[in-house]
Amino acid sequence: MTDAPRSRPRAFRLDELAPGGERDFVLEERPDAYEAETARLTGDPDEQAAEQAQAAGFLRRGSFGWGGLLISSLGGLIAFSFGLWLDQLIESLFTRSMALGFVGLGLAGLALLALVALIGREARAIFRQRRVALLHKALALAHETDDRDLARAKIGELAAIYQGRPATAAARAHLEDLRGEIVDGRDLIEIAERELMPALDAAARREVAGAAKRVSLVAVISPRAAVDLIVVAAQALRLIRRIAEIYGGRPGLLGAWRLARAVGSHLAITGGMALTDGLAQQIIGHGLAAKISARLGEGVVNGALTARIGISAISVCRPMPFFAEKPPSLGDVAPFLFSDSGKGEGAKRER
Amino acid sequence: MSVLTDLFSEARNTAANLAEVIARGRGLRLGVTGLSRAGKTVFITALAQQFAALAHAAAEGRKNPLPVLRVAAERRLISGRLEPQPDDNVARFAFEDHVAALTGPDRQWPQSTRQISELRLRLEFDRRTGLRPGPTSFVIDIVDYPGEWLLDLPLLEKSYAEWSRETFEASAAAARAPLAAEWRGFSAGLDPGAQENESVARRAAELFTGYLRASRAEAYALSTLPPGRFLMPGDLEGSPALTFAPLPLPEGHRAVRGSLAAMMERRYEAYKSHVVKPFFRDHFARLDRQIVLVDALSALNSGPAALRDLQRALDDVLAAFRVGRGNALSRLVRPKIDRILVAATKADHLHHLSHDRLEAILRQLTARAISRADFSGAKVDVVALAAIRATREAAVRRGRETLDAIVGTPLKGERLDGEIFDGETEAAIFPGLLPADPQKAFRGDGLATPEGEADVRFLRFRPPLPAFGVDGKPLPAPHIRLDRACQFLFGDRLS
Repeated sequence: MTDAPRSRPRAFRLDELAPGGERDFVLEERPDAYEAETARLTGDPDEQAAEQAQAAGFLRRGSFGWGGLLISSLGGLIAFSFGLWLDQLIESLFTRSMALGFVGLGLAGLALLALVALIGREARAIFRQRRVALLHKALALAHETDDRDLARAKIGELAAIYQGRPATAAARAHLEDLRGEIVDGRDLIEIAERELMPALDAAARREVAGAAKRVSLVAVISPRAAVDLIVVAAQALRLIRRIAEIYGGRPGLLGAWRLARAVGSHLAITGGMALTDGLAQQIIGHGLAAKISARLGEGVVNGALTARIGISAISVCRPMPFFAEKPPSLGDVAPFLFSDSGKGEGAKRER
Repeated sequence: MSVLTDLFSEARNTAANLAEVIARGRGLRLGVTGLSRAGKTVFITALAQQFAALAHAAAEGRKNPLPVLRVAAERRLISGRLEPQPDDNVARFAFEDHVAALTGPDRQWPQSTRQISELRLRLEFDRRTGLRPGPTSFVIDIVDYPGEWLLDLPLLEKSYAEWSRETFEASAAAARAPLAAEWRGFSAGLDPGAQENESVARRAAELFTGYLRASRAEAYALSTLPPGRFLMPGDLEGSPALTFAPLPLPEGHRAVRGSLAAMMERRYEAYKSHVVKPFFRDHFARLDRQIVLVDALSALNSGPAALRDLQRALDDVLAAFRVGRGNALSRLVRPKIDRILVAATKADHLHHLSHDRLEAILRQLTARAISRADFSGAKVDVVALAAIRATREAAVRRGRETLDAIVGTPLKGERLDGEIFDGETEAAIFPGLLPADPQKAFRGDGLATPEGEADVRFLRFRPPLPAFGVDGKPLPAPHIRLDRACQFLFGDRLS
């Protein structure tokens, strides 16, 4: 749309033509532009899934439930009985000998100290994971509304998360410079993503690839089905913890529970979408691998499942949605599982 | 005295609001603000129609018509319906009549609003957040009124002498002088100190009203024309409260008892206290959210002078509203408008590629109001919207030239490019390009620019052909960004 040739307002009648009449213009219908605009505003389903999953995991608020009440009250009783037992133990130690009593008391004190430290660490871990999730939400909002002030504040927080990592120092310094300049909110966020995220994304992908490889290998060589079940579970748990750490979270014990919950609900939400994402191909392909060897086919499916878990973990742990970067697909993280179909899928994604 | 009355009306307001909030439950008062012909009635009708039909959309296999509205996108809206409004002394918004007019065989836009009316929309939805998630209801109260009356709000702050002086100054401007000539000639011969005389007052008021009416005519599209009841008297037709007019008062004039000036001043004050104040108090002093509808297109049709006039009118009117960041307590006792959406209506009358430029002009039109709202902490957004979309988009290729055009049925009597439309023929219209620099639209003295010289010309179109649902009721018409407006105005309260 240019101003150069000043076009005057014009009207073209579209009524029925008289027989033999001919229009001197051509009317070309155009696709509705507003639908495209709406699609841009409502955001892509991937991002919505990630936010919902985060809400179900990290940002979950405690709510009242009878089951919870039962567990807490039983826990209280057990704590009492444990305290009683400890008290009796130390008392009986003292009756035997003064020295033994003091040693027992000292050990109990040390145990208490360790417990307090553990609780503190857990709380901090949960808090930190929560902060990453909130950051994700705020950055998504700032990107959507192109809010410069919000973007600036949140980019500062983002840089602060990676404070202790020398590898990100250059990127952080660059962002700090940019924050002072006049850059649109949306652009600032995209620059931050391009500066900070690729290294982390690559690390997370390597992690996923490694886990998928190990799981499929174990499935092929394991002597019993139960063994590879345990291996898959352990690898999946280890994988999502590693990914959370890469992106700046710090899952502890309870934190891991929340993390698993978030990843689980992301898997559940995106389960339907996943069928279009190569997993279906994989299960169909399984037939082929299974014909060669049942074990091999199983190994491939287990690997693909682990890779999907890894992708879900990336989506929920990443402190920002994928704006400028491309979200990883199964073919990206575990190309060895898709040796022949991977290329076709890659070509499809290029569109 | 005035402090006391202010305090009194404030207390009254608070009590009224508290009573209403308790009776109503969760909800808000949405102020639909706009000068006459801005499209208030169409907006309210379309809004109510969309929400009434929204809950069935999925069941009937239609696409969600409001995808940007979160509560609709997440399928959490259970039902939407019209309810009897709380105030029994105000007419009900004639929703069915307006829908019938829009979708009837001859498809007409609603007549201009002559009376105040009220609408209550109750939405049942599934609440996600808060202490008690689950199904809840949310009430939206909307008032429709003649847009002319809005012009009266700035008068509350002005004395008779001030108003007289301003009106005379405005009428002397090049754009208005020819329209005001007769009335100015008559009042120049009047002596403010003369004995009061009913027939003189009546004649002055008649001529003054004639001037106001003429300036509002479509070709001129001027906006700053208080008092509004002169244009749209409502139930005050012929009342003495409307028989006054500005007088050419000398500087520092003091009205003598029994003089013409004293009589006019008395009536002006009576107009303010009996007409303007109650209108403001009952309908505008307690708003939670506001949408300002602006018909920038007719002003653009007329020329830069009309656009500047519109800017002034909007600025004066919007200054009367209480804007600021609200909280839970203020929502109960002293509501403030914490979100304002400035909307250019009739966005379907131009191609979507021009919408950015239209929004830039709109920002310029309401710049003062926007900065005031920003300063007070309220959220402001600007959008080009069409509550009912009457056109579709297409490209017209003739020879080597391609124009982005809109296709619709222009209203009967609309003319462009040598064509006079009969209201039946479809046409592809290229309305011209808006200037890239919004300032440019405000420069110049053009008013009532003839069609042949205008760079832009926005025709008015007939309402779109209606579609009917399975139950034979008309379905809501397509729209442009109505969902975005809803999401901004009350989407946050439906989370």
